[in-house]
Amino acid sequence: MDDRDSLRTLYLMTLVGGLVWLGAIVLAPYARSRSSPVFPFLYACFSPVCHQIPARSFRLFGFPLAVCARCLGIYTGTFGGLVIYPCRRRFERVRLPSLRLFLTVSAPIVLDTAGNALKLWNTANGPRFILGFIWGLLLPFYFLTGLGELVLRRKKR
Amino acid sequence: MNGQKSSPWTPALAGGAAAGILSGIPFVNCLCCLWIIGGGILAAYLYGKNTPAVLTSGDGAIVGAFAGVIAAVVDSMISIPFQAINAGFLKRIFDRLADYGDALPSGWETWFVRGPFSIAWFFLGLLISAAIFAAFGALGGILGIALFGKKPAVPPTAPPQPPQSAPPAPPLP
Repeated sequence: MDDRDSLRTLYLMTLVGGLVWLGAIVLAPYARSRSSPVFPFLYACFSPVCHQIPARSFRLFGFPLAVCARCLGIYTGTFGGLVIYPCRRRFERVRLPSLRLFLTVSAPIVLDTAGNALKLWNTANGPRFILGFIWGLLLPFYFLTGLGELVLRRKKR
Repeated sequence: MNGQKSSPWTPALAGGAAAGILSGIPFVNCLCCLWIIGGGILAAYLYGKNTPAVLTSGDGAIVGAFAGVIAAVVDSMISIPFQAINAGFLKRIFDRLADYGDALPSGWETWFVRGPFSIAWFFLGLLISAAIFAAFGALGGILGIALFGKKPAVPPTAPPQPPQSAPPAPPLP
């Protein structure tokens, strides 16, 4: 398996993982609407990484999603970044994006999170989702690059 | 010139402990997954500081993943006493809400009836948390290398050679 095949395999595994993750977020309220016994487990899977406050979450099937609006934006944006990743990288480069790009894209969500945490303002769910989505788009270009470098380095040993 | 890399465990322990504590404390854990990513960034920063070698994004992923696992353990341990407090606090809020309207779903009181502590569920939750936190921690470690990693030293360029002058002409006889 050459380097490009290794990176492609890593990419596909991450894409499938992202799909399962998003699917579970949507499945939780559906399972709850059907009174399925698995819904507490689904919500519990996301409780370590999200406060799951209902007022800050979008609702589906009459119940809040498994994560809040900001987290949903980040995960949806990350999946979007995964979808466009092959068009930008073509499984060839293992170089991180520029620092300036990261700081520029991160600034809005950092400022919004800080403003909400310090009670300076209260952002609605829609803008929270959008800011999370924008930041999430960039994350696969770091995650896959770092893991790709690790995979290729271990192959060379 | 790359030197030896130090052990990633100490930076991972520091980053993971900080992320785990902040994730486990009620009200402070409102930043969701960002604490775990922040723990990975911290671990990568400390790793880079203690290592003379130039670290790669893969090194960041490793130290970040370790930090994520440690954060999961710390978070699970801290959450044990806080779970009862959280449940009691939320039940008091829902009791108040129930006074003002009947918009709450029926049977909501059962949400706060907690069974006895189960070792099996605790370890299952720890396993799931460790896997999730490792992924977020790896991302944080990679971001940490991008933010704080040393750049490879650029070899100094040789100064330009002066033009070779023609040898002096021999003296006339």
